Amino acid sequence: MSADHHVTLTIPADGAYLSILRTATAGVAARLDFTLDGIEDLRMAVDEACALLLPQSKAESNLHCAFDVGESSLTIAVTAESLSPKPPRRDGFAWTVLTALTTDVDASVDGSSVTLRLTREREGYELP
Amino acid sequence: MTGRGLSNDADDPVDERIDTRQRTRELFKQLAKASSGKAQEELRNELVQLHLPLVDHLARRFRNRGEPLDDLVQVGTIGLIKSVDRFQLDRGVEFSTYATPTVLGEIKRYFRDKGWAVRVPRRLQELRLSLATATADLTQELGRSPTVSELSARLKVNEDDILEGLESANAYSTLSLDAPDLGETDGQSMADSLGADDDALEGVDYRESLKPLLAQLDPRAKHILMLRFFRGMTQSQIAGEVGISQMHVSRILSRTLAQLRAGLLE
Repeated sequence: MSADHHVTLTIPADGAYLSILRTATAGVAARLDFTLDGIEDLRMAVDEACALLLPQSKAESNLHCAFDVGESSLTIAVTAESLSPKPPRRDGFAWTVLTALTTDVDASVDGSSVTLRLTREREGYELP
Repeated sequence: MTGRGLSNDADDPVDERIDTRQRTRELFKQLAKASSGKAQEELRNELVQLHLPLVDHLARRFRNRGEPLDDLVQVGTIGLIKSVDRFQLDRGVEFSTYATPTVLGEIKRYFRDKGWAVRVPRRLQELRLSLATATADLTQELGRSPTVSELSARLKVNEDDILEGLESANAYSTLSLDAPDLGETDGQSMADSLGADDDALEGVDYRESLKPLLAQLDPRAKHILMLRFFRGMTQSQIAGEVGISQMHVSRILSRTLAQLRAGLLE
């Protein structure tokens, strides 16, 4: 039960597919026994992350979403392919939103890809 | 036939409006004195007829949000009828001032209750309602928002169905990015119009451009946004403070974010 599990999902870089990512996020977060607050926050966070990534995604490219399922935390890394990859501004409103919705946010650029990594710890409550 | 009030064929719209106000007061006075049920009914009808243009005007504000205008006018009219029945002349407020929030409230409630962006089966709509109740109860009992397994135990519904129910509660907010923006461009979705790299955006100071957008928000949406993102309150805490359900808070937040995003990129 201590080993990390991985879930990966690739969707077209197109807003119409975001609902699949939101649903997958909610499903994985529920498995981790996140509260509804946590689930909804994560759902909103992936939405916001994609809203940051989609405008700079290459046409016809995909968004790669990797879920790292820890024992009490979930990390979701969303990667987009971009012609001119730039990390999002950290003083922007979107970043403020992301930091409020997650425990940790990080952005990185590697070659032609931009990755936003969102981590959320499960709240420390007594499990039944 | 409904050419009174906000009529556009009036030579002098101001006179027309004053005329409507006077007529309204007159009718309410008569209504207060009316003894027979039939007379009351007739006066009530005339009052409603007289203000249909107001409903029409208010309903138009909600065009392009995925619900037929006729339906909006219809629910708005229910709000108008309620206003006519509750209005008291001696409070010294104009009837239109009194009726406007009620009509808007009725239209907004319609969006909240029935404005599903995706057709949701009745079973799920009912599940969503019991989920809302169970979530509120459990939040109260536990002092925090419940987990899916806790909801599943409480409602005796399996976890997958709970998730499905939560998803359907969010069906409304799919309007955010995915739904076609029926506003101007034909059938193009909001996400399409996000556009490719636009270097012009580089120079945009988000904070500065955010201000006017925030100012345009519905005050409650803005309040909720501030509580969540700048004061770090949880959705459940906000639900408690504002007096609405956590799901509703979630929907308002998603919708408001989408609205801001769209505005920032314009």
